[in-house]
Amino acid sequence: MPRRVIALFVMTATIVCAVVGCHRADHRKKLIAIIVPSQDNPYFKAEADAASARAQQLGYRVRVDAHGDDAYVQDNLIDAAIASNAAALILDNAGADSSIAAVRRATRAGIAVFLIDRAINDDGIAKAQIISDNGQGARLVAAEFARALHETGDYAELLGRESDTNAQIRTEGFHAVLDKDPGLKMVAAQSANWSQSEAFEKTEIILQAHPNIAGIIAGNDTMALGAVAAVKSSGLKHIVITGFDGSPDAIEAIRKDDLQATALQPAVLISRLAVDEANTFLTTGSTGKPERQIIPCDLVTAANAADYSNFEKVR
Amino acid sequence: MNTTAQTLTSANRVAGTSARTVLFLLRARAFLVLALLLILFSILAPEFLTANNLSILSKHVAITALLAVGMTFVVLTGGIDLSVGSIAGLSGMVAGYLLTQGLSFGGTVHYPPVALVVLLTLCVCLFVGALNGWLVAKASVAPFIATLGTLYIARGAALLISNGRTFPDLGGRVARGNTGFLAVGQGFLLHVPAPAWIMLAFFVIAWVVAAKTPFGRHVYAIGGSERAARLAGIRVPRVKLITYLFSSFCAAFVGLIIAAQLEAAHPATGESFELNAIAAVVLGGTSLMGGRGSVTGSLIGAFVIGVLADGMVMLGVSEFWQMVIKGVVIVLAVAVDQLQTRLQARLLPYLAKANPEVAN
Repeated sequence: MPRRVIALFVMTATIVCAVVGCHRADHRKKLIAIIVPSQDNPYFKAEADAASARAQQLGYRVRVDAHGDDAYVQDNLIDAAIASNAAALILDNAGADSSIAAVRRATRAGIAVFLIDRAINDDGIAKAQIISDNGQGARLVAAEFARALHETGDYAELLGRESDTNAQIRTEGFHAVLDKDPGLKMVAAQSANWSQSEAFEKTEIILQAHPNIAGIIAGNDTMALGAVAAVKSSGLKHIVITGFDGSPDAIEAIRKDDLQATALQPAVLISRLAVDEANTFLTTGSTGKPERQIIPCDLVTAANAADYSNFEKVR
Repeated sequence: MNTTAQTLTSANRVAGTSARTVLFLLRARAFLVLALLLILFSILAPEFLTANNLSILSKHVAITALLAVGMTFVVLTGGIDLSVGSIAGLSGMVAGYLLTQGLSFGGTVHYPPVALVVLLTLCVCLFVGALNGWLVAKASVAPFIATLGTLYIARGAALLISNGRTFPDLGGRVARGNTGFLAVGQGFLLHVPAPAWIMLAFFVIAWVVAAKTPFGRHVYAIGGSERAARLAGIRVPRVKLITYLFSSFCAAFVGLIIAAQLEAAHPATGESFELNAIAAVVLGGTSLMGGRGSVTGSLIGAFVIGVLADGMVMLGVSEFWQMVIKGVVIVLAVAVDQLQTRLQARLLPYLAKANPEVAN
């Protein structure tokens, strides 16, 4: 009986060896690991694709993983990058505090870590932290929102997930502009956790309570699109809605005049910058740039919507 | 007549041998799959079979294995514990709170030492386990529903502790006398990570309890037939309560390990961990109906899940394919489990001597 087991074992092993023997990846190239929150969200997809394309162009081997905003999953993925002897790590992290230990571990293991899109609450560990200017973007959108409302009327705000730093920075940016306008009055503020369906429900409720609302300012595009759908289904018209992120869906909605404006985060530009700096670091030993780099957002309205596609300025 | 009988016996013996081989292969399937995966990944990824990676792998497997070992007893009684992931999350948050916020009585804030932090955290989590046990054993709530309820309760409690925020910087301060917590997740002993040692300790205890003690026999008996167990004088509610307590105890350790690894406690930690644990238990050949299975099987099941996950990441398999493959492995495992049950019944006449260990 054991002999038969061994025979079966050897047989399967041989087959496996034969099948996979020729599939060995090219391990002479240096590896750049790219870890983003998810690959089914257009923003993070664009970010990952841009980084991956640029790294391959520069002659690196690339691996893309997603942590699903779970710091423990991220921890495991970073372990895998360490085990694979990655040369550099491009990371859109899972939490400003809960990512510090993992980033430090990667750095100690000799991996050059480049943070994109979200910073961590510590300096001197990552080689670079390249993020878009959420505060400046929020002020841009808020100014456009106030202009479209002719500086008068009631409005509602849809906030992102409360534990997310970007949600806080954006709402502060909105209010830095809107609170100066005595004609604008916020009658409702609800968190919709960045989610389209939740924004739809919350907007329906807000519209029931405040039918004469003139505008809705949302912390991201998905929530803004949820609000657009809710406004449409309620039959109300002329409600000014703005988003944030510059997603292709939002830009399409701006073209159709459903959405007033959005702030485009230059995700593609940031990814390319990070990979370029990683390449510079790996060849010269220094990025030649400060660790914290803040890239401004662009305001997208009907006037310039055609210039943008998939998180980058194409024209 | 005599010769016919002899031919029959020898035919039976041949049939019995192959029947036993088939059953042996079926029972050892988790181990075979594990061996196959190890060979496959070692060939495909040159970095896979390095000391560094095996150390990392053991750390990852420890998490699923701890939960699976705890879950095994619950499943053996015919129950299920869906709350383990939430308990792990709660555990990290309680520890995080005690380490960074301390306890305030009489207007002054006291920072308990790490040992006390661990002890208090375990107590809080055991309370949730006791709630599970009470609901299932005394209030006769279906285990699926009872632990689904505590899944939400524990997760909600974890979020309430910090209002959804993360407790950063769990390293403690020398001035507060509460340093050293990080060793739970980051320490090493003889080049083996601390989580792997914790897993080993839990496994040995669980194995001894399951295989060598009356309590272990009682657990199997309840899973086999609860009514018969009760009539035989086994205190069924008490045994069930203990299984849920042990499961929550394991989950609490998982929470502590993760918090120590991340040096931060996040309230969403441990989401969907229960599914990994259940998958490991089932892969290891434990029947969800109860009464059949083993702690060793669950450990091997946890290794299969861990090796599969880490190996696919190292190979750069797309996230979406990873999900599909994991799902296929789990479904196949349960299908083969059913096949084993049916084959066992059908081949029973061929097994010359009644084997008391057929029940695995």
